[in-house]
Amino acid sequence: MQPIVLLISLILMAALSLVFWLATRASNGPEPGPNANSKRAGLIWAMTIVGVVVAVGSLRPWPHALASTDDAITVSITSGQWWWDIDTVEIPAGRPINFSATTEDVTHGLGIYTSDLRLLTQVQVIPGYTTEVSYTFEEPGTYQVLCMEFCGVAHQDMVNEFEVVAVEE
Amino acid sequence: MSAVSELVAEKSIVTEPQAGAVKLTMILSGAVFALMMVFGLIMRAAQGQLIEVDPALFYQLLTAHGAGMVGTAALSGAAIMWYFCGRHIVLTAGIFWAFLALFLLGVVLILGSIFIGGYGGAWTFLFPLPAMSGGAWEAGAAAAFMLGYVSIGVGFLLYYLELGRQIHARYGSLVRALGWNLILGREDKNPPPPTIVAAAAVTIFNSIGIILGAAVLVASLVHLLVPGFEVNALLAKNLIYFFGHVFINASIYMAVTAVYEILPEYTGKPWKSNRLFAIAWNAVLIFVMAVYWHHLLQDVVMPPWMLVVGQLVSYFSGIPLIAVTAFSTFLYVRGSKMTWDLTSSLLVLSVAGWAVGSIPASIDGMISVNKVMHNTMWVPGHFHTYLLLGEVAMAFGFMAWLVRGKTIAQMSGLDRVAFVTYLAGAAGFVTVFLFSGAASIPRRWAVHYEEWLMHDRIGTLFSVLIVMTTLFFVLRFVLRLGRSNG
Ligand code: HEM
Ligand SMILES: [Cu+2]
Repeated sequence: MQPIVLLISLILMAALSLVFWLATRASNGPEPGPNANSKRAGLIWAMTIVGVVVAVGSLRPWPHALASTDDAITVSITSGQWWWDIDTVEIPAGRPINFSATTEDVTHGLGIYTSDLRLLTQVQVIPGYTTEVSYTFEEPGTYQVLCMEFCGVAHQDMVNEFEVVAVEE
Repeated sequence: MSAVSELVAEKSIVTEPQAGAVKLTMILSGAVFALMMVFGLIMRAAQGQLIEVDPALFYQLLTAHGAGMVGTAALSGAAIMWYFCGRHIVLTAGIFWAFLALFLLGVVLILGSIFIGGYGGAWTFLFPLPAMSGGAWEAGAAAAFMLGYVSIGVGFLLYYLELGRQIHARYGSLVRALGWNLILGREDKNPPPPTIVAAAAVTIFNSIGIILGAAVLVASLVHLLVPGFEVNALLAKNLIYFFGHVFINASIYMAVTAVYEILPEYTGKPWKSNRLFAIAWNAVLIFVMAVYWHHLLQDVVMPPWMLVVGQLVSYFSGIPLIAVTAFSTFLYVRGSKMTWDLTSSLLVLSVAGWAVGSIPASIDGMISVNKVMHNTMWVPGHFHTYLLLGEVAMAFGFMAWLVRGKTIAQMSGLDRVAFVTYLAGAAGFVTVFLFSGAASIPRRWAVHYEEWLMHDRIGTLFSVLIVMTTLFFVLRFVLRLGRSNG
């Protein structure tokens, strides 16, 4: 997902920058015509329509929905300054996993990474609450847990890992 | 032509109240911007392992950089808005001095707490981290940091109280100053100019932001002193991000008055309030307060509707910014035959940087994107765009204008080199952050993995360009001020 997000962002940013650049070039050209304000109205409508479409498309299904199928597995993770404790060392591939996270002290951020450091999903871990996030691992292998919320002087050392294993049917 | 001569005539009668206080504030702002940028450069170089910085010191620098930059953006924005409001209403000089004194007292407390007390809990002081440092700092240091915020907050409340009072005196009510006569199509012989509409809106939302910030500061202070006193961490986080989001946004909304008041000197077309402008500002007033939930999109225990509002408002805030402010800038510039000197170039750049920086922000405001971008370098990527190329460019543009003199001349060789270098440095710097975010590099990590070093090193190179040109802009300002005063 990240490369697409980056690409779309850079294209839109470049396009808007280009419009600004053209506008400064046009300072020596003719003044804006009388229909400039109807162009503006068109822009407002276009942005509104795009916004509604993107909102509906991106909010259903609800991005924070948890897996509720029978084969879902819950993995509990406790955390503190500066450690992660994961109650399951070998997680089966291909089954939805609900990670359920708590903290014993300050706020942490549970970030689940591949072994080559690509972020797959995350959730904040807040004192006094249990927060949950779902993910289904397709590939067996080693995965890493990195802290995503600044939690003090050893924040960058707050890492751990777990294994995802293939299961025979 | 006649519009231009009218404007020139008008300029000679507009008074320049309290210019001395404002100029002094801009010198201070420029100096602190430069110093904090050096801190930023050190952090970037440390992440790239070009220099060695102990993590404890790194997080102290991070805390100083965050609080210092946000504070200075607000300080410079406040000075700019005070200056231009002085063209429309009479403001009491003593209030500005009290504001500045309280601000400086806050700076002393904050710097002391960090570099003497060792506080490194980040400018967002997320509850209960200040009280649970794991041995890195004492409760006293955290308390000093928060008292510093309180001092700055009290100064700002005085500032807004005076603004609100004088706007009320001149325009009858804040509602009228927000342009409601224009919105409702009623006749208004004395419609509020853009600067006053902006001032009225910022006065309202930033006062609310600071008061809620004060509430969580007091609760955190009590928690530091009375260990049994517990605060709900999620509630505290809501209050902190409400305050933080509103406060940093207010800095741009104050500084943009420089665009409204200065660009007309170049284009010959006055920037006028109209119905659309008033609607846009009233929308901003609501949006700025409702959008802070986009900082909590991964706090899944929040009521879902709040997260939905966070996502929607992140996107729809772009409409007043792009379709009104940016679009109007195009219209003002187009065919204006304006002269591109350092002031006008920086001011137009600032609108561009602000608008362009909002794009990666609204994309990250989508819950599904946020799942993999939240708290990665993507976030510093987007906010450095609208701060470096937005608010700071407004402040530097205003500074260049203050020392410009009466004649407007095309940019000289040196100014042009500095402008292009600043633009290139900042654009490169933020683009690297965005690439780093897409590469899943977490933000606020003192020590980076081998795989990430290339990003950090390229970022460091661009940072050097920004620091150099900033020093040039600030020195140029101070030297020319000295020359024109002496
Ligand atoms: C030469 C210019 C600058 C450099 C090199 C720089 C560098 C940095 C670095 C390295 C970080 C930490 C990134 C991380 O999370 O790992 C950071 C964070 C930040 N910067 Fe800058 N920066 C610069 C200019 C600015 C300006 C002009 C502003 C605001 C007006 C600003 C505001 C902030 C804020 C608010 C943070 C977040 C602090 C936190 O995470 O607690 N920076 N900057
Ligand atoms: Cu942590």
